[in-house]
Amino acid sequence: MKKNPYKVLGIKEGASYDEIKRAYRELVKKYHPDRYRDNPLSDLAEEKMREINEAYEYLMKNAGGAYQYQTEYESASESSGSYKQQYQSQQQYKSGSQSSYGYQYANDTELENMIRSYINSGNLNEAQKLLDRMQNRGAAWYYLQGLVFLRRGWYDRGYSNIQKAVNMDPANFEYRNALNNLNQQYTGFRQNYYYGNSFRRDPDMCNLCVNLWCADTLCECMGGDLISCC
Amino acid sequence: MFGYVEPDKPELKIREFDVFRGYYCSLCRTIGRLYGQVPRISLNYDLTFLYVLLDSIDSGKITGTIERCLVHPTKKRFIIASNSFAEYCADMNIILTYYNLKDKWQDKKSLAAYGGLAALRGAFKKARKKHPEKCDAIEKCLNKLSDLEKNGCDTVDEAAEPFAELMRELFECGYIKDEGDKKALGWMGYNLGRWIYILDAYDDLEEDIKDKNYNPILMQYDYNGDDIETFRTSVRDAVNFNLTFSMSEVEKSYTLLNIEKNKGLIDNIIYSGLLAKTDKVLQGRGKENEKESI
Repeated sequence: MKKNPYKVLGIKEGASYDEIKRAYRELVKKYHPDRYRDNPLSDLAEEKMREINEAYEYLMKNAGGAYQYQTEYESASESSGSYKQQYQSQQQYKSGSQSSYGYQYANDTELENMIRSYINSGNLNEAQKLLDRMQNRGAAWYYLQGLVFLRRGWYDRGYSNIQKAVNMDPANFEYRNALNNLNQQYTGFRQNYYYGNSFRRDPDMCNLCVNLWCADTLCECMGGDLISCC
Repeated sequence: MFGYVEPDKPELKIREFDVFRGYYCSLCRTIGRLYGQVPRISLNYDLTFLYVLLDSIDSGKITGTIERCLVHPTKKRFIIASNSFAEYCADMNIILTYYNLKDKWQDKKSLAAYGGLAALRGAFKKARKKHPEKCDAIEKCLNKLSDLEKNGCDTVDEAAEPFAELMRELFECGYIKDEGDKKALGWMGYNLGRWIYILDAYDDLEEDIKDKNYNPILMQYDYNGDDIETFRTSVRDAVNFNLTFSMSEVEKSYTLLNIEKNKGLIDNIIYSGLLAKTDKVLQGRGKENEKESI
């Protein structure tokens, strides 16, 4: 059974192209695979993303006049295409970095690859067993141990292990990237959802007074006057 | 359970507030209907949240009545009609309260706890019969928790795990049919459990120092008898990171749930209520206006 594409995008039936596009962009941000990397729910997010892409493509094809359809549909397939491309390049980047750093620790390469595939499939107990067996505890070990902790939901230890990996091998792009992602998730959540609340950004009376005063001062500079009493 | 999960009231619409209260009253009444009047006092907001959440995954319309009730005899209130989710949360409330009292009795030999235990025994047996697996899983988590505490576990993440697992167990309600929803609910429960456990540990620092109780934060950051305020400030950033990260995972799992109703209310709790509570506790104001009745 297919879901109502309007409902999937969270918009009213008969929404305009702009509204559809805006909703689509918001949702892509929300369910982007980057946000669900190393997350036990990444498969659900992927499925949701697929649903959203389908709904968007469907609406772009079927929801408007011929002229609009032409132009809009092109840009639509472009944007969903770019998303896919981005995703693919990420996957490539993932596997690429895997091999490049496996080279550094040739002895443990196989073990590390196995650990990675266990982490990806969500089999954390097996991954932990292999980690415990590894003798060479370099940056790679701390990085992988950090990933396992994060997947389990042990964020404090996950963070400190990944930080250790970065300290031991500051040149490694993958470790630094992971650390940045953690910091971003932390600051992003606070900014987006609390201090970014609209009521906190609304101009209050104090702000209004300051603005008026500024405007008055500026007017007086130019020889005019906005508020005559001061 | 601690009752930390609640809406950010100033941000709530009045209609949403009424609905939340309607769910609270509905759950309270369901406990009364199933288990008698005494256990009704044990209800808290965390389970009300679970009730709202589970019911919102279901697409059925909200129905209810406006009635007078024993607890608030002066005013008529909107009470949402009870359903299987209400009964599930009522059962879980009985099981959790019973274990909580048992723990208090064993630890502190509190007579009040013993009295409560005696009063709840029948209700507990009934709830246990309805959910034997859940009950066993919860007991296992609580045993693991008390083992960790006895051994003086010095890692906050590890100490938070049993309670997080307990919450995962609660959130993975058998009445939810969709596997994806169930998975998202489980991860949400795990992270919410972590959040509650760590927040409570930070909130109780002073008390635990005074009473020489176990507290994972004191263990991990080697409290050595310094000024409490200095210690609180020195660990605040690390605790804040851990809490915020857990909340962001709660939010991520929430966006993957197929929510059919009450979106404004749940959004308020997830995006604003949790953070408001976190900041309150981090600033040391967690104990203020506790148990403010709705």
